[in-house]
Amino acid sequence: MKAGIIRIASLVVALFVLAGGPFVSSASAAGKVALVLDVGGRGDLSFNDMGFKGSDEAQAKLGVEVVEIQSNSAADYLPNMQNAARSGQFDLIVAVGFLLADAMAEVADQFPDQKFAIIDVTWLGKPNLMEIGYEENKGSAIVGALSSMVAAHYGYDKIGVVLGIEIPVLYKFEAGYRYGMHWGNAKYAEKTGKKSNVGLLWTYTGTFSDIAKGKAATEAMLAQGAGIIYNVAGPLGIGDLEAITEHLEAKNKSAGPPFMIGVDANQDYLGDGHRVLASMMKRVDFGVYSAIESVVNGTFKGGVQILGPHNGGIAMSGKQDLADFIQFGVSGGAISASDSGQITSNWDAMRKDIPQWIWDAVAELQSEISSGAADVPCGWCPDTIGDIRAKYPD
Amino acid sequence: MFASKSLKKQIEPIVESLLAGLVGLVIGALIMLAFGHNPLAAYRSLLLGSVGSVYSVAESLAVATPLILTALTFAVAMRGGLFNIGAEGQVYMGSLAAVSVGLLHLPAPFNLIVALLAAMIAGIVWSLPVALLKLGRGVHEVISTIMFNWIAHFFAFYLIANVLTDPKRGDRTISIIESARLTRILPTATLNTGLFISLLTVAIILFLLWRTSTGFEIRAAGYNPHASHHAGINIRKQVLRVFLIGGAVAGLAGAIQVMGRPPYYAVMSGMPQLVNLGFDGIGVAMIGRNHPIGIVFAALFFGGLMVGGRIMQFDPGVPFELVRVIEGVIILALAVPELRRQFSRLKGRWGRKE
Amino acid sequence: MELAHLWGILFISLHAMVPITLAAIGESIEESAGLFNIGLEGILLLSALTGALGAQASGSAVMGLVTGMATGAIVGLLFGFISTTLRGSQLISGVGINLFALGFVALMLTVMGAPGFHSVAREVQVALIPLGVGNLSPLVLVTVVLAILAWWLLQRTQLGIWIRAVGENPAAADVAGIRVNAIRLGAAIAAGVFAGLAGAYLSIDWFGAVTKEITAGRGFIALAIVVFSGLNPLLALLGGFIFGFFDGLATWVATYPGIKEIIPWQFVAMAPYVVTLAVVAGAIGRVRFPSALGVPYVRE
Repeated sequence: MKAGIIRIASLVVALFVLAGGPFVSSASAAGKVALVLDVGGRGDLSFNDMGFKGSDEAQAKLGVEVVEIQSNSAADYLPNMQNAARSGQFDLIVAVGFLLADAMAEVADQFPDQKFAIIDVTWLGKPNLMEIGYEENKGSAIVGALSSMVAAHYGYDKIGVVLGIEIPVLYKFEAGYRYGMHWGNAKYAEKTGKKSNVGLLWTYTGTFSDIAKGKAATEAMLAQGAGIIYNVAGPLGIGDLEAITEHLEAKNKSAGPPFMIGVDANQDYLGDGHRVLASMMKRVDFGVYSAIESVVNGTFKGGVQILGPHNGGIAMSGKQDLADFIQFGVSGGAISASDSGQITSNWDAMRKDIPQWIWDAVAELQSEISSGAADVPCGWCPDTIGDIRAKYPD
Repeated sequence: MFASKSLKKQIEPIVESLLAGLVGLVIGALIMLAFGHNPLAAYRSLLLGSVGSVYSVAESLAVATPLILTALTFAVAMRGGLFNIGAEGQVYMGSLAAVSVGLLHLPAPFNLIVALLAAMIAGIVWSLPVALLKLGRGVHEVISTIMFNWIAHFFAFYLIANVLTDPKRGDRTISIIESARLTRILPTATLNTGLFISLLTVAIILFLLWRTSTGFEIRAAGYNPHASHHAGINIRKQVLRVFLIGGAVAGLAGAIQVMGRPPYYAVMSGMPQLVNLGFDGIGVAMIGRNHPIGIVFAALFFGGLMVGGRIMQFDPGVPFELVRVIEGVIILALAVPELRRQFSRLKGRWGRKE
Repeated sequence: MELAHLWGILFISLHAMVPITLAAIGESIEESAGLFNIGLEGILLLSALTGALGAQASGSAVMGLVTGMATGAIVGLLFGFISTTLRGSQLISGVGINLFALGFVALMLTVMGAPGFHSVAREVQVALIPLGVGNLSPLVLVTVVLAILAWWLLQRTQLGIWIRAVGENPAAADVAGIRVNAIRLGAAIAAGVFAGLAGAYLSIDWFGAVTKEITAGRGFIALAIVVFSGLNPLLALLGGFIFGFFDGLATWVATYPGIKEIIPWQFVAMAPYVVTLAVVAGAIGRVRFPSALGVPYVRE
């Protein structure tokens, strides 16, 4: 009986192996791309999801086939990319996130004929690697200015930022936000003649997954008089928004202030369209899409590209973005089509309620930043974040 | 070597585990079909991806290496009648200790040994309080290990961001010194000489538990504390021993992971190379029936599942999440022992129905 | 610290208490009967998802909670079946449940379109009770009531005696005519229902959304609270509150300007774990578990 089972089992195994043969390269319309993710994986409500959006669009518009490879642990990063490169099937391998940098350095050298791209990394310098970096600090400065001016306008004396794990990438957000806050305060004083001293509440919750911490931190900040909460912790934004929603409900209101500011993706459509004032959009989807497009068009070049406010890689959310993401949400089933009209009109009302000069000021800062006139601090600075905190205090 | 059993009885649990694995695979295949994937193609990838080439085997071994150790931590405790789920935290502390050795600027040949020793001591430092709390205040190790795991989690964050930070890269600790790194066995795979350290540890634990009086006392205390106590065995000492061994081994796992797995050789913020090594080790230990040899095979199985799962993602494109689901189903199936006996029992019952 | 802040922290504590206490209550019943389910985390996660879906499909928060409880019951049944009739390893099946849930919920979220999360419309979330100083979830009161009922069940009813007998000495219970496996199966289902309620609470009450890691280790904290409480549901209430209090306090205080110079946030974050451990070590000490915990019952 047992021998029989063993014989059958080995037969089945042999069948599998023989029936397959080596990995067969499947033909595809315009090419095949691998998207390699870090342990955050899909559903991080942040740059990974934006990366997926970009690759989905590439599939739809360019006709490429995209294969997504997620990682169980950091030890998977190198093998995942090696497997993809070794298979020879992929015209481009895109790594999303700075965590993959070291693995990319090794793989890019090992496979010089394979084209690679990486997001959020700018220091590797390989001929077959397209590096795409983002200027989150500049985007954060823009929303920081918006925050302090809006807060002052509505009579709040604090704005808050809820961050995740304390890593240098997040320092970019914090530094930019501080700069923007101070710029906004100065601008407010200049335009209205009243002194504005909006201060900053900030905390690193230490997690990108425990939503309770986002909610508790936001509640604490609201209790201390914050009028705007900037989410720099991915999914914790859900907790932040829930806190704001409940805070408003207790006053029988549904529209803010207080408002949340979303991050990475456009989150304006959450909160019925009038609790999220704006989103600091980091267009990882553009980055991924353009990398794929360059391979399809044959214009791929190794090197560093910086996406920022000057080329639309970083932007504060606007009306078109809202429409795009509502569309995205409807097709994904997150919002019903019937709600989208209401969301849009709520959003319009929320934005109209803020005086035009504030929007003009934000645009002014944006052009100062793009032209280089404004010096927003910090690329990637572990030991100067202390200096920045001193220069642009709470 | 084992307690005197006939060969047949030794083989039986293995056959049962294999059968259970098969049942899990079948259920997994059904789930894949439900989502529109080809299970045959997927399992072919799984097989080839895990053992189909020298590279794959090396990768499977690489994943198994630390799991063997964290599984031993749990298994040794279980043999002693205790529930040590603190490997997770002990792994973090061990890896950070190994990294800190770099601050001592020792002459090159010493770095490796000192790093390993430091890691073991760090693991012990993290497991000893659990034992002491149990002996002194009767605190059950389930709660103390869960708490210590979380405390280690945050303490590690603190050390990585503030004490051991790499001045050039703020998102990680200083790197393990070149001379302390474990050599890669194959130039392309992540397998390294840490494997031998793991296997050596298996041999030591095997010897310890079944060939020494210490091991005998541990097992006796686990099997029947009352009788052992009356036979003169110091139960309290066994608690200490079990946690000491467990902590040292888990710390070692942390060290090997950071000293051996390319390309990082440093602990990154959020510990992505270390997270879940402790918890996965529990699963490995249980599937390996808490026996060192069984653990090696179970770890290889886990490793194969993880490594093959990577390939399943891009050929035929089974999504990562589905791979996890299948892993869960297979493990659930493995929970049921004596499957053949179950089948015959059920058959018998049906047979008896009129 | 102003009074409003204290109220804020109190409400956070109560809301944080709900999921871990509910799961702990159910697990206390289960462990009293001799089963050890390490898969609570998985049940929480699955019911968070199904609860949200149930609420949206039916348009009612209550139905959402019921859906969550039903999910928990099903998983509890599976676990109970494997542990009793099939005499399987409770630990392995618990681990399997956790892994399955992690993959399944993540899978469902990707299939459902919106990346990474699924918002639950405001109308189908559990309505909060406005109390002037803050809004309280009715589930807090439900938790307290259930804790009392569970305690009363275990300590003051015939069924409770049977449950505890089955956990302590199943052979003797069997001889006395108590149906051991039936009671254990029932306890497993009950634990599942409690955990299911806790999970649904996360998505349709506390957070208003489902994410793939919404549970964040609460299932394991619940296990720790079970130990803390010595299988006493009333103490589980206390333990859950203490944990929730320090967890909320830590996060709240970390936002105060000036705190960061005094104590780094990592140490503030450790507070709930250190305090729980200290309370157990200092005040509670030894906990007696049923003698037959974790051992499948085989009639000789």
